[in-house]
Amino acid sequence: MAQKEGRLARLKALLEEFYVSPYRGAIARARREEDDLFMLFVFSELMGVPNPAAYYTLELQPLLLERFHDWHRRQGLEHSPLDGFRCC
Amino acid sequence: MLNELLTRRLLFVGGKGGVGKTTTAAALALVAAERDRRCLLVSTDPAHSLADLFGRPIGHRETALTASLWALEIDPDRQADEHLETVKARMRRLVHPRSFAEIDRQLDLARHAPGTMEAALLERVAEVMALAGDQYDQVIFDTAPTGHTVRLLSLPEVMAAWMDGLLGHRERSARLGSALRNLGGGRVKGDDLSLLESAADHAEGSRDQQLNELLQMRRRKFVRARELLLDANVSAFLLVLNPDRLAVLETIKAHEILTRFSVPVTGLVVNRVLPPDADGAFLDARRRQEAPYLEQIDQIFSRLPRVRVPLLPDEINDMETLRRLGRNIVGDDPVR
Ligand SMILES: Nc1ncnc2c1ncn2[C@@H]1O[C@H](COP(=O)(O)OP(=O)(O)O)[C@@H](O)[C@H]1O
Ligand SMILES: [Mg+2]
Repeated sequence: MAQKEGRLARLKALLEEFYVSPYRGAIARARREEDDLFMLFVFSELMGVPNPAAYYTLELQPLLLERFHDWHRRQGLEHSPLDGFRCC
Repeated sequence: MLNELLTRRLLFVGGKGGVGKTTTAAALALVAAERDRRCLLVSTDPAHSLADLFGRPIGHRETALTASLWALEIDPDRQADEHLETVKARMRRLVHPRSFAEIDRQLDLARHAPGTMEAALLERVAEVMALAGDQYDQVIFDTAPTGHTVRLLSLPEVMAAWMDGLLGHRERSARLGSALRNLGGGRVKGDDLSLLESAADHAEGSRDQQLNELLQMRRRKFVRARELLLDANVSAFLLVLNPDRLAVLETIKAHEILTRFSVPVTGLVVNRVLPPDADGAFLDARRRQEAPYLEQIDQIFSRLPRVRVPLLPDEINDMETLRRLGRNIVGDDPVR
Protein backbone atom coordinates (compact mmCIF):
# COMPACT_ATOMS: atom_id res chain seq x y z
CA MET A 1 0.00 0.00 0.00
CA ALA A 2 2.68 2.44 1.06
CA GLN A 3 4.73 1.26 -1.87
CA LYS A 4 1.84 1.93 -4.24
CA GLU A 5 1.43 5.48 -2.92
CA GLY A 6 5.11 6.09 -3.40
CA ARG A 7 4.93 4.95 -7.03
CA LEU A 8 1.90 7.17 -7.64
CA ALA A 9 3.66 10.17 -6.25
CA ARG A 10 6.66 9.50 -8.49
CA LEU A 11 4.42 9.12 -11.53
CA LYS A 12 2.67 12.36 -10.67
CA ALA A 13 6.01 14.14 -10.43
CA LEU A 14 7.13 12.71 -13.75
CA LEU A 15 3.94 13.78 -15.51
CA GLU A 16 4.19 17.22 -14.02
CA GLU A 17 7.75 17.50 -15.20
CA PHE A 18 6.70 16.31 -18.66
CA TYR A 19 3.87 18.80 -19.11
CA VAL A 20 5.14 21.78 -17.20
CA SER A 21 8.86 21.93 -17.71
CA PRO A 22 8.81 23.31 -21.27
CA TYR A 23 6.83 26.30 -19.97
CA ARG A 24 9.05 26.61 -16.98
CA GLY A 25 12.06 26.70 -19.25
CA ALA A 26 10.45 29.36 -21.43
CA ILE A 27 9.49 31.49 -18.46
CA ALA A 28 12.89 31.17 -16.88
CA ARG A 29 14.40 32.23 -20.19
CA ALA A 30 12.04 35.21 -20.53
CA ARG A 31 12.97 36.26 -17.08
CA ARG A 32 16.66 35.93 -17.74
CA GLU A 33 16.24 38.13 -20.79
CA GLU A 34 14.37 40.66 -18.67
CA ASP A 35 17.18 40.58 -16.18
CA ASP A 36 19.79 41.03 -18.87
CA LEU A 37 17.87 44.12 -19.98
CA PHE A 38 17.93 45.28 -16.39
CA MET A 39 21.69 44.86 -16.28
CA LEU A 40 21.96 46.84 -19.47
CA PHE A 41 19.96 49.68 -17.95
CA VAL A 42 22.04 49.83 -14.89
CA PHE A 43 25.46 49.30 -16.32
CA SER A 44 24.88 51.48 -19.34
CA GLU A 45 26.99 54.08 -17.65
CA LEU A 46 29.95 51.73 -17.36
CA MET A 47 29.45 51.05 -21.04
CA GLY A 48 29.57 54.72 -21.91
CA VAL A 49 25.86 55.53 -22.18
CA PRO A 50 25.05 58.18 -19.58
CA ASN A 51 22.07 57.28 -17.46
CA PRO A 52 20.45 60.46 -16.16
CA ALA A 53 18.38 58.43 -13.73
CA ALA A 54 21.41 56.83 -12.03
CA TYR A 55 21.47 59.29 -9.13
CA TYR A 56 17.82 58.66 -8.40
CA THR A 57 18.08 54.88 -8.46
CA LEU A 58 21.13 54.42 -6.23
CA GLU A 59 19.01 52.43 -3.80
CA LEU A 60 18.98 49.63 -6.33
CA GLN A 61 22.74 49.26 -6.01
CA PRO A 62 22.87 46.42 -3.44
CA LEU A 63 20.29 44.52 -5.36
CA LEU A 64 22.29 45.03 -8.49
CA LEU A 65 25.42 43.88 -6.80
CA GLU A 66 23.73 40.55 -6.13
CA ARG A 67 22.11 40.36 -9.52
CA PHE A 68 25.34 41.27 -11.21
CA HIS A 69 27.03 38.45 -9.37
CA ASP A 70 24.41 35.98 -10.59
CA TRP A 71 24.64 37.39 -14.08
CA HIS A 72 28.39 37.03 -14.53
CA ARG A 73 28.22 33.52 -13.09
CA ARG A 74 25.53 32.70 -15.64
CA GLN A 75 27.80 34.05 -18.35
CA GLY A 76 30.36 31.51 -17.20
CA LEU A 77 32.65 34.08 -15.58
CA GLU A 78 33.83 33.03 -12.16
CA HIS A 79 34.81 36.52 -11.03
CA SER A 80 33.42 39.96 -11.74
CA PRO A 81 34.72 41.16 -15.10
CA LEU A 82 34.33 44.81 -14.06
CA ASP A 83 36.79 46.72 -11.90
CA GLY A 84 34.07 49.21 -11.10
CA PHE A 85 31.83 46.52 -9.72
CA ARG A 86 33.42 44.03 -7.37
CA CYS A 87 30.90 41.58 -6.06
CA CYS A 88 33.35 38.75 -5.50
CA MET B 1 2.01 94.19 -20.72
CA LEU B 2 3.36 91.13 -19.00
CA ASN B 3 0.86 91.44 -16.19
CA GLU B 4 -0.10 87.79 -16.48
CA LEU B 5 3.39 86.91 -15.23
CA LEU B 6 2.19 87.55 -11.73
CA THR B 7 -0.91 85.40 -12.02
CA ARG B 8 1.05 82.16 -12.51
CA ARG B 9 2.05 80.01 -9.59
CA LEU B 10 5.47 79.33 -11.09
CA LEU B 11 7.67 81.75 -12.94
CA PHE B 12 10.99 80.76 -14.51
CA VAL B 13 13.40 83.45 -15.59
CA GLY B 14 15.95 82.26 -18.14
CA GLY B 15 18.59 83.70 -20.42
CA LYS B 16 22.31 83.94 -21.11
CA GLY B 17 24.72 84.77 -18.30
CA GLY B 18 24.79 88.42 -17.32
CA VAL B 19 21.77 89.61 -19.31
CA GLY B 20 19.79 90.52 -16.20
CA LYS B 21 17.96 87.38 -15.02
CA THR B 22 18.60 87.91 -11.32
CA THR B 23 17.65 91.56 -11.60
CA THR B 24 14.43 90.70 -13.46
CA ALA B 25 13.48 87.83 -11.14
CA ALA B 26 14.08 89.94 -8.04
CA ALA B 27 12.19 92.90 -9.52
CA LEU B 28 9.16 90.74 -10.28
CA ALA B 29 9.31 89.10 -6.87
CA LEU B 30 9.25 92.51 -5.20
CA VAL B 31 6.19 93.53 -7.23
CA ALA B 32 4.40 90.28 -6.42
CA ALA B 33 5.13 90.82 -2.72
CA GLU B 34 4.01 94.43 -2.96
CA ARG B 35 0.66 93.11 -4.19
CA ASP B 36 0.42 90.92 -1.12
CA ARG B 37 1.17 87.70 -2.90
CA ARG B 38 3.30 85.40 -0.77
CA CYS B 39 6.30 84.95 -3.02
CA LEU B 40 9.40 82.75 -2.85
CA LEU B 41 12.39 83.79 -4.96
CA VAL B 42 14.71 80.86 -5.68
CA SER B 43 18.20 80.97 -7.16
CA THR B 44 19.39 77.85 -8.97
CA ASP B 45 22.56 79.43 -10.32
CA PRO B 46 25.57 77.86 -8.53
CA ALA B 47 27.10 81.35 -8.48
CA HIS B 48 24.29 82.76 -6.35
CA SER B 49 23.85 86.51 -6.32
CA LEU B 50 20.59 87.04 -4.45
CA ALA B 51 22.41 87.60 -1.15
CA ASP B 52 24.54 90.32 -2.75
CA LEU B 53 21.53 91.90 -4.39
CA PHE B 54 19.49 92.04 -1.19
CA GLY B 55 22.51 92.82 0.96
CA ARG B 56 21.93 90.02 3.45
CA PRO B 57 22.77 86.34 3.86
CA ILE B 58 20.22 83.95 2.30
CA GLY B 59 21.55 80.40 1.83
CA HIS B 60 19.83 77.07 1.40
CA ARG B 61 16.89 77.74 3.73
CA GLU B 62 13.89 79.90 2.95
CA THR B 63 14.72 83.31 4.37
CA ALA B 64 12.17 86.10 4.92
CA LEU B 65 13.08 89.36 3.16
CA THR B 66 9.85 91.34 3.55
CA ALA B 67 6.41 90.61 4.99
CA SER B 68 5.48 88.52 1.96
CA LEU B 69 8.79 87.81 0.22
CA TRP B 70 11.14 84.90 0.92
CA ALA B 71 14.33 83.85 -0.83
CA LEU B 72 16.30 80.64 -1.16
CA GLU B 73 19.64 79.75 -2.76
CA ILE B 74 19.76 76.07 -3.67
CA ASP B 75 23.06 74.42 -2.72
CA PRO B 76 23.48 71.32 -4.92
CA ASP B 77 26.66 70.22 -3.11
CA ARG B 78 24.90 70.05 0.19
CA GLN B 79 21.86 68.51 -1.47
CA ALA B 80 23.92 65.70 -3.02
CA ASP B 81 25.71 65.02 0.29
CA GLU B 82 22.41 64.74 2.12
CA HIS B 83 20.92 62.52 -0.55
CA LEU B 84 23.89 60.13 -0.51
CA GLU B 85 23.92 59.98 3.31
CA THR B 86 20.24 59.04 3.28
CA VAL B 87 20.82 56.41 0.62
CA LYS B 88 23.79 55.00 2.58
CA ALA B 89 21.80 54.73 5.80
CA ARG B 90 18.88 53.12 4.04
CA MET B 91 21.11 50.59 2.30
CA ARG B 92 22.73 49.56 5.55
CA ARG B 93 19.32 48.39 6.66
CA LEU B 94 18.81 46.46 3.45
CA VAL B 95 22.06 44.63 2.82
CA HIS B 96 24.33 42.18 4.57
CA PRO B 97 27.15 43.87 6.54
CA ARG B 98 29.69 42.17 4.27
CA SER B 99 28.48 44.46 1.45
CA PHE B 100 28.81 47.71 3.41
CA ALA B 101 32.30 48.52 2.17
CA GLU B 102 31.44 47.93 -1.47
CA ILE B 103 28.22 49.94 -1.20
CA ASP B 104 30.09 52.84 0.38
CA ARG B 105 32.62 52.68 -2.41
CA GLN B 106 29.88 52.77 -5.04
CA LEU B 107 28.24 55.78 -3.41
CA ASP B 108 31.50 57.67 -3.10
CA LEU B 109 32.01 57.12 -6.82
CA ALA B 110 28.49 58.39 -7.48
CA ARG B 111 29.22 61.55 -5.48
CA HIS B 112 31.75 62.64 -8.08
CA ALA B 113 30.07 61.23 -11.17
CA PRO B 114 29.22 63.71 -13.90
CA GLY B 115 25.62 64.79 -13.61
CA THR B 116 25.36 64.31 -9.85
CA MET B 117 25.23 68.01 -9.00
CA GLU B 118 22.67 68.63 -11.67
CA ALA B 119 20.56 65.71 -10.47
CA ALA B 120 20.70 67.02 -6.90
CA LEU B 121 19.71 70.51 -8.03
CA LEU B 122 16.85 69.20 -10.08
CA GLU B 123 15.44 67.14 -7.24
CA ARG B 124 15.42 70.23 -5.03
CA VAL B 125 13.79 72.29 -7.78
CA ALA B 126 11.05 69.70 -8.11
CA GLU B 127 10.45 69.85 -4.36
CA VAL B 128 10.37 73.64 -4.30
CA MET B 129 7.95 73.72 -7.24
CA ALA B 130 5.50 71.77 -5.12
CA LEU B 131 5.44 74.61 -2.55
CA ALA B 132 3.73 76.93 -5.04
CA GLY B 133 0.01 77.23 -4.50
CA ASP B 134 0.43 75.82 -1.04
CA GLN B 135 2.89 77.68 1.16
CA TYR B 136 3.39 80.38 -1.45
CA ASP B 137 1.15 82.08 -3.98
CA GLN B 138 4.05 82.27 -6.37
CA VAL B 139 7.54 80.79 -6.70
CA ILE B 140 9.96 82.63 -8.98
CA PHE B 141 13.06 80.80 -10.20
CA ASP B 142 16.11 82.85 -11.02
CA THR B 143 17.52 80.15 -13.27
CA ALA B 144 21.01 79.23 -14.31
CA PRO B 145 22.26 80.17 -17.80
CA THR B 146 20.15 78.88 -20.71
CA GLY B 147 22.10 75.73 -21.57
CA HIS B 148 21.86 74.40 -18.05
CA THR B 149 18.20 75.37 -17.77
CA VAL B 150 17.32 73.55 -20.94
CA ARG B 151 19.01 70.36 -19.77
CA LEU B 152 17.26 70.79 -16.47
CA LEU B 153 13.95 70.99 -18.29
CA SER B 154 14.43 67.87 -20.35
CA LEU B 155 15.62 65.79 -17.40
CA PRO B 156 12.28 65.03 -15.75
CA GLU B 157 11.09 63.51 -18.98
CA VAL B 158 14.24 61.47 -19.56
CA MET B 159 14.28 60.34 -15.97
CA ALA B 160 10.66 59.32 -15.97
CA ALA B 161 11.41 57.22 -19.03
CA TRP B 162 14.38 55.53 -17.33
CA MET B 163 12.46 54.88 -14.18
CA ASP B 164 9.47 53.55 -16.07
CA GLY B 165 11.88 51.19 -17.76
CA LEU B 166 13.54 50.11 -14.53
CA LEU B 167 10.46 49.83 -12.38
CA GLY B 168 8.34 48.30 -15.11
CA HIS B 169 11.07 45.76 -15.60
CA ARG B 170 11.17 44.97 -11.91
CA GLU B 171 7.46 44.28 -11.92
CA ARG B 172 7.67 42.06 -14.97
CA SER B 173 10.61 40.20 -13.50
CA ALA B 174 8.79 39.64 -10.22
CA ARG B 175 5.69 38.41 -12.09
CA LEU B 176 7.74 35.95 -14.09
CA GLY B 177 9.44 34.84 -10.87
CA SER B 178 6.16 34.02 -9.18
CA ALA B 179 4.91 32.29 -12.35
CA LEU B 180 7.99 30.10 -12.10
CA ARG B 181 7.28 29.25 -8.51
CA ASN B 182 3.65 28.41 -9.30
CA LEU B 183 4.83 25.96 -11.91
CA GLY B 184 6.53 24.09 -9.14
CA GLY B 185 10.13 24.17 -8.02
CA GLY B 186 11.35 27.66 -7.22
CA ARG B 187 14.74 26.81 -8.63
CA VAL B 188 15.31 25.89 -12.20
CA LYS B 189 18.81 25.04 -13.28
CA GLY B 190 20.48 28.23 -14.43
CA ASP B 191 17.94 30.38 -12.66
CA ASP B 192 20.37 31.78 -10.13
CA LEU B 193 18.11 34.75 -9.59
CA SER B 194 15.73 32.73 -7.47
CA LEU B 195 18.32 33.44 -4.81
CA LEU B 196 16.79 36.91 -4.56
CA GLU B 197 13.23 35.90 -5.05
CA SER B 198 12.53 34.06 -1.85
CA ALA B 199 8.97 34.45 -0.59
CA ALA B 200 10.19 36.95 1.99
CA ASP B 201 11.29 39.30 -0.78
CA HIS B 202 7.72 39.77 -1.89
CA ALA B 203 6.05 39.89 1.50
CA GLU B 204 4.48 43.10 2.77
CA GLY B 205 7.21 45.54 3.76
CA SER B 206 9.88 43.39 2.14
CA ARG B 207 13.04 44.81 0.67
CA ASP B 208 11.77 44.69 -2.91
CA GLN B 209 8.56 46.37 -2.01
CA GLN B 210 10.30 49.05 0.03
CA LEU B 211 12.60 49.83 -2.88
CA ASN B 212 9.74 49.86 -5.29
CA GLU B 213 7.69 52.27 -3.20
CA LEU B 214 10.65 54.53 -2.63
CA LEU B 215 11.48 54.80 -6.33
CA GLN B 216 7.85 55.26 -7.24
CA MET B 217 7.59 58.12 -4.77
CA ARG B 218 10.66 59.84 -6.16
CA ARG B 219 9.44 59.33 -9.68
CA ARG B 220 6.04 60.83 -8.89
CA LYS B 221 7.78 63.96 -7.63
CA PHE B 222 9.37 64.48 -11.05
CA VAL B 223 6.31 63.60 -13.01
CA ARG B 224 4.38 66.13 -10.93
CA ALA B 225 7.03 68.78 -11.51
CA ARG B 226 6.89 68.16 -15.22
CA GLU B 227 3.12 68.41 -15.25
CA LEU B 228 3.30 71.76 -13.47
CA LEU B 229 5.98 73.01 -15.81
CA LEU B 230 4.01 72.13 -18.92
CA ASP B 231 0.74 73.63 -17.67
CA ALA B 232 0.38 77.11 -19.14
CA ASN B 233 -2.11 78.02 -16.41
CA VAL B 234 0.46 77.26 -13.75
CA SER B 235 3.86 78.08 -15.21
CA ALA B 236 5.32 80.98 -17.11
CA PHE B 237 8.75 81.10 -18.66
CA LEU B 238 10.29 84.48 -19.20
CA LEU B 239 13.39 84.91 -21.35
CA VAL B 240 15.71 87.82 -20.69
CA LEU B 241 18.10 89.06 -23.34
CA ASN B 242 20.10 92.09 -24.42
CA PRO B 243 20.15 93.64 -27.89
CA ASP B 244 23.40 91.98 -28.94
CA ARG B 245 24.33 89.15 -31.27
CA LEU B 246 25.12 86.39 -28.78
CA ALA B 247 22.15 87.06 -26.53
CA VAL B 248 19.79 87.04 -29.52
CA LEU B 249 21.24 83.78 -30.83
CA GLU B 250 20.97 82.13 -27.43
CA THR B 251 17.41 83.31 -27.03
CA ILE B 252 16.39 81.93 -30.41
CA LYS B 253 17.89 78.59 -29.43
CA ALA B 254 16.34 78.59 -25.96
CA HIS B 255 12.94 79.56 -27.31
CA GLU B 256 13.12 76.80 -29.91
CA ILE B 257 14.00 74.13 -27.37
CA LEU B 258 11.48 75.27 -24.77
CA THR B 259 8.78 75.30 -27.43
CA ARG B 260 9.80 71.84 -28.58
CA PHE B 261 9.38 70.63 -25.00
CA SER B 262 5.99 72.42 -24.83
CA VAL B 263 7.12 74.72 -22.03
CA PRO B 264 4.96 77.85 -22.15
CA VAL B 265 7.24 80.77 -23.05
CA THR B 266 5.28 83.78 -21.89
CA GLY B 267 7.36 86.73 -22.92
CA LEU B 268 10.67 88.46 -23.43
CA VAL B 269 12.44 91.09 -21.41
CA VAL B 270 14.78 93.02 -23.67
CA ASN B 271 17.09 94.47 -21.08
CA ARG B 272 19.75 97.19 -21.26
CA VAL B 273 18.27 99.07 -24.18
CA LEU B 274 20.01 102.42 -24.56
CA PRO B 275 17.54 105.16 -23.64
CA PRO B 276 16.88 107.68 -26.44
CA ASP B 277 17.99 110.60 -24.32
CA ALA B 278 21.43 109.18 -23.57
CA ASP B 279 23.70 111.44 -25.58
CA GLY B 280 27.25 111.65 -26.87
CA ALA B 281 29.03 110.26 -29.91
CA PHE B 282 29.94 107.04 -28.11
CA LEU B 283 26.36 106.25 -27.16
CA ASP B 284 25.16 107.17 -30.66
CA ALA B 285 27.54 104.57 -32.06
CA ARG B 286 26.29 102.00 -29.54
CA ARG B 287 22.72 102.81 -30.42
CA ARG B 288 23.43 102.19 -34.10
CA GLN B 289 24.93 98.85 -33.08
CA GLU B 290 21.91 97.70 -31.12
CA ALA B 291 19.25 98.94 -33.58
CA PRO B 292 19.39 95.95 -35.95
CA TYR B 293 19.20 93.54 -33.00
CA LEU B 294 16.16 95.29 -31.59
CA GLU B 295 14.58 95.00 -35.02
CA GLN B 296 15.53 91.34 -35.31
CA ILE B 297 14.03 90.61 -31.89
CA ASP B 298 10.77 92.30 -32.87
CA GLN B 299 10.61 90.32 -36.09
CA ILE B 300 11.51 86.87 -34.81
CA PHE B 301 9.46 87.13 -31.63
CA SER B 302 6.59 89.19 -33.04
CA ARG B 303 4.12 86.77 -31.47
CA LEU B 304 5.55 87.03 -27.96
CA PRO B 305 4.80 89.87 -25.56
CA ARG B 306 8.01 91.92 -25.19
CA VAL B 307 9.11 94.56 -22.76
CA ARG B 308 12.12 96.84 -23.22
CA VAL B 309 14.01 97.83 -20.13
CA PRO B 310 16.42 100.73 -20.47
CA LEU B 311 20.05 100.56 -19.50
CA LEU B 312 20.26 102.47 -16.25
CA PRO B 313 23.22 104.65 -15.33
CA ASP B 314 24.06 102.55 -12.27
CA GLU B 315 24.07 98.95 -11.19
CA ILE B 316 20.70 98.03 -9.76
CA ASN B 317 20.80 97.08 -6.13
CA ASP B 318 18.38 99.28 -4.27
CA MET B 319 14.90 97.98 -3.62
CA GLU B 320 13.15 101.04 -4.95
CA THR B 321 14.79 100.86 -8.39
CA LEU B 322 14.16 97.11 -8.52
CA ARG B 323 10.52 97.60 -7.66
CA ARG B 324 10.09 100.26 -10.31
CA LEU B 325 11.76 97.99 -12.84
CA GLY B 326 9.37 95.22 -11.88
CA ARG B 327 6.35 97.50 -12.28
CA ASN B 328 7.66 98.48 -15.69
CA ILE B 329 7.91 94.83 -16.74
CA VAL B 330 4.40 93.96 -15.65
CA GLY B 331 3.06 97.03 -17.37
CA ASP B 332 2.72 99.90 -14.93
CA ASP B 333 5.05 102.79 -14.44
CA PRO B 334 7.84 103.05 -17.04
CA VAL B 335 11.38 103.25 -15.73
CA ARG B 336 13.33 106.37 -16.53
N1 LIG C 1 18.84 97.59 -17.15
C1 LIG C 1 20.01 97.60 -16.50
N2 LIG C 1 20.69 98.73 -16.34
C2 LIG C 1 21.85 98.76 -15.68
N3 LIG C 1 22.42 97.68 -15.11
C3 LIG C 1 21.79 96.52 -15.21
C4 LIG C 1 20.54 96.39 -15.90
N4 LIG C 1 20.14 95.11 -15.81
C5 LIG C 1 21.09 94.46 -15.13
N5 LIG C 1 22.08 95.29 -14.74
C6 LIG C 1 23.30 94.94 -13.99
O1 LIG C 1 24.01 93.96 -14.72
C7 LIG C 1 24.61 93.03 -13.86
C8 LIG C 1 24.18 91.60 -14.24
O2 LIG C 1 22.78 91.45 -14.01
P1 LIG C 1 22.16 90.14 -13.40
O3 LIG C 1 20.71 90.39 -13.16
O4 LIG C 1 22.96 89.71 -12.21
O5 LIG C 1 22.39 89.13 -14.60
P2 LIG C 1 22.20 87.53 -14.66
O6 LIG C 1 21.46 87.13 -13.45
O7 LIG C 1 21.45 87.29 -15.92
O8 LIG C 1 23.58 86.96 -14.72
C9 LIG C 1 24.21 93.42 -12.46
O9 LIG C 1 25.26 94.16 -11.89
C10 LIG C 1 22.99 94.30 -12.66
O10 LIG C 1 22.88 95.30 -11.65
MG1 LIG D 1 22.10 85.75 -11.93
